[in-house]
Amino acid sequence: MESARKVVLVALAVRLVLAPFFMHAGDFGTIYESSIMALRGENIYDFVFQRTLQMQHATGLPAFFEGYAYHPLLVYFFVPFYWLYSVIAGPNQVMIDGHYPSLPILVYPWTPILLLFLKIPIFLADVAVVYLLARVDLSKAKIYAFCPYIIFISAIWGMFDAIVALFLLVSYLTFSKNSFVSGVAYGVSLVKLYTIVLLPLFFVRLYGKWRELVMFLGGLTVTLLPVAYYLVLSPTSFWNVLVTFQGTRVMGGVNLYNFIWIVPDVRFDLVLSIVPNVLLVISLALLLRRFGRKGPLLEAILAFMLASFLFGRVLNEQFLVSIFPLILLCRECDHRLWIAPFIFIFLRSPFYYFAVPILWASPVFYSYYLRVDEIWRGLQAAGYLLIPIYAVGITFSLLLLLNLQRVLRSMRSSTGLGDLPRMTRRVVGDYAVSSKARVFSRRLRILLR
Amino acid sequence: MKAKDKLTVFFIIYIVGLSFVPLIHQTLLGENAWLGYGTGAYAFQSQSYFVLFNDPYDGSSKPNIHINPYFAPNARISLVEFSDWTSWVDGFNLFNDFNITIRTNKRALDVTYTRPGITIHKFVEVTPSGDAIIVKLTSTGEFAAHLELWKWVMNSVNGMTIREAPKPTVLPATTSINFTFPYQPLRAVGSGSISLSRVPSQIEIWPYEQGFNKITVDFVNSEMSFAVSGTMSATGTPPFDWSISYLQYVFPVVAILVVALYLLVGKYGKRKKGRSGSSSR
Repeated sequence: MESARKVVLVALAVRLVLAPFFMHAGDFGTIYESSIMALRGENIYDFVFQRTLQMQHATGLPAFFEGYAYHPLLVYFFVPFYWLYSVIAGPNQVMIDGHYPSLPILVYPWTPILLLFLKIPIFLADVAVVYLLARVDLSKAKIYAFCPYIIFISAIWGMFDAIVALFLLVSYLTFSKNSFVSGVAYGVSLVKLYTIVLLPLFFVRLYGKWRELVMFLGGLTVTLLPVAYYLVLSPTSFWNVLVTFQGTRVMGGVNLYNFIWIVPDVRFDLVLSIVPNVLLVISLALLLRRFGRKGPLLEAILAFMLASFLFGRVLNEQFLVSIFPLILLCRECDHRLWIAPFIFIFLRSPFYYFAVPILWASPVFYSYYLRVDEIWRGLQAAGYLLIPIYAVGITFSLLLLLNLQRVLRSMRSSTGLGDLPRMTRRVVGDYAVSSKARVFSRRLRILLR
Repeated sequence: MKAKDKLTVFFIIYIVGLSFVPLIHQTLLGENAWLGYGTGAYAFQSQSYFVLFNDPYDGSSKPNIHINPYFAPNARISLVEFSDWTSWVDGFNLFNDFNITIRTNKRALDVTYTRPGITIHKFVEVTPSGDAIIVKLTSTGEFAAHLELWKWVMNSVNGMTIREAPKPTVLPATTSINFTFPYQPLRAVGSGSISLSRVPSQIEIWPYEQGFNKITVDFVNSEMSFAVSGTMSATGTPPFDWSISYLQYVFPVVAILVVALYLLVGKYGKRKKGRSGSSSR
């Protein structure tokens, strides 16, 4: 445990050292803006919805303002730290605008302090994951703690997928021991909505175990109370920001769908983006039917998440963080999957964009920024960057497919169904959940050979 | 066929099939219609012109009219850019001081600029014959406008070169502005023409390096339209000049290459596994 503690402390130290100097202006700005509003008791969803309506009115297009489009719980992870910061720095805004394509105006020396404070919840989630992994396998904890991709997303980008990772991991670890805690943890993991695909899996797994199911749903319901509150308070805004925006985004990201970025026709893009949704529903339904109640839970969770990454319309660079601890625990998965989204980050956003807090600190640095940015924009406008972006997107999709296939193969073999003829598989399937049934199916398989 | 192989085959067909979408879209839907994208950007592609309105990065290009030369149809060469950043109406900056709403029908883009006491419509339309782009400003009352039209850079404007006009120079009153420009990447020269519906109060040209980069037009009226057209001719055999519009052909190639690489690595991996298996026996 001594070395586990060391790993946790070094992981935290690395992140704290990087935190004050880097950020993704758009995403970090959203968290900052939302924390201010939440502390003032303002309605974040009304604000985002108003901006969306303004954009749609001005452009005549189904465009959305990319602001706070998350579960209401999320902002409360950051509010206490923002409050602490404002006690020190006062209430004046130190980061103005920054929503794409604008660049932020930063006020010094407060910006680095703000960055440090608002990233603390992300770091706490990161080190909690490291600690939990260390209890299972120290080498895996080290991989998570010092993986450049994870450090980049949390400490440099300032994205909070580590919170999703932590609560998804806790939900998995407590699933068979304490359904209520598992339900709460799963509910909190929904701060980014993409883990919603796991709900049918959890439901089907607990179907028939009524007490556990009620406890799980009870835990989940507790986390959904803020959702209910906002649905009552401002149903139109909440629905538009959370459901309409997230459900009808144009496809793209680190996946095979980013070709859409060269089709400058948003209405067509939106219609085409229905295709991945249909495939996602079909793939999840198939997975639910085949593996909903069978096979180890870890592999089942990963199969669902990998399928959603594979077929889901949007896959941002940071999404992989959420299942990275589970990937590390899974023997079948290759954790080097992170390399593709890591490369993608630098193709899509230049590194210097993350160094804005450093580059804005001096006119000399700022002039460097402008010079480099001119070259970068030239490359971007000519479309040169879109070629490697597309290649990495497809590669990542294929690697996800490979990992999904491995997980499915392992699940088939663990349920003892892999090598059996179809009819026999059906007969055996129902028994395969229990250990007795596994022994039976193994014997049956030997007999059939 | 095993389920794993079926899934792989399906996925590969899916990837390669989708990679053709940009090309199919451009062929079937991408021409002769205003298409909106990004945060309020619009584009129109005709056979000879590409018109961009409201650049998605910085809101410039209102509009930026590009020409597609007949000898390099995928190249987009800026002919003239109407800049709201540097244009004023009644003393108010078009970019910063007006609220803008954009609406479109199949051929025309209707941009409404409003502020207390004044509403101006800017219509951007490609003529039915496709030989010119009309940019028309109209309002219910008279307005005083100072519009800036940018082109980097023009050799001559209405026959005047940098020698005759080394400083900002007012052109004689006219409704017709003709300019020429070189385009080195294609070893080509181009000529552009801007035809005004009424005589403006002033047309001025602004020198930059070895030519001119800006034409300013001042007028007081309730309506003014600019018909912009251009042609290009190659001075020799034009070399290949990369343009973003080639990506629609590149993406299927990239998809096929990546998929082929994936299959090759998979096959090679299996062989290696097989060999090591046999050697252990």
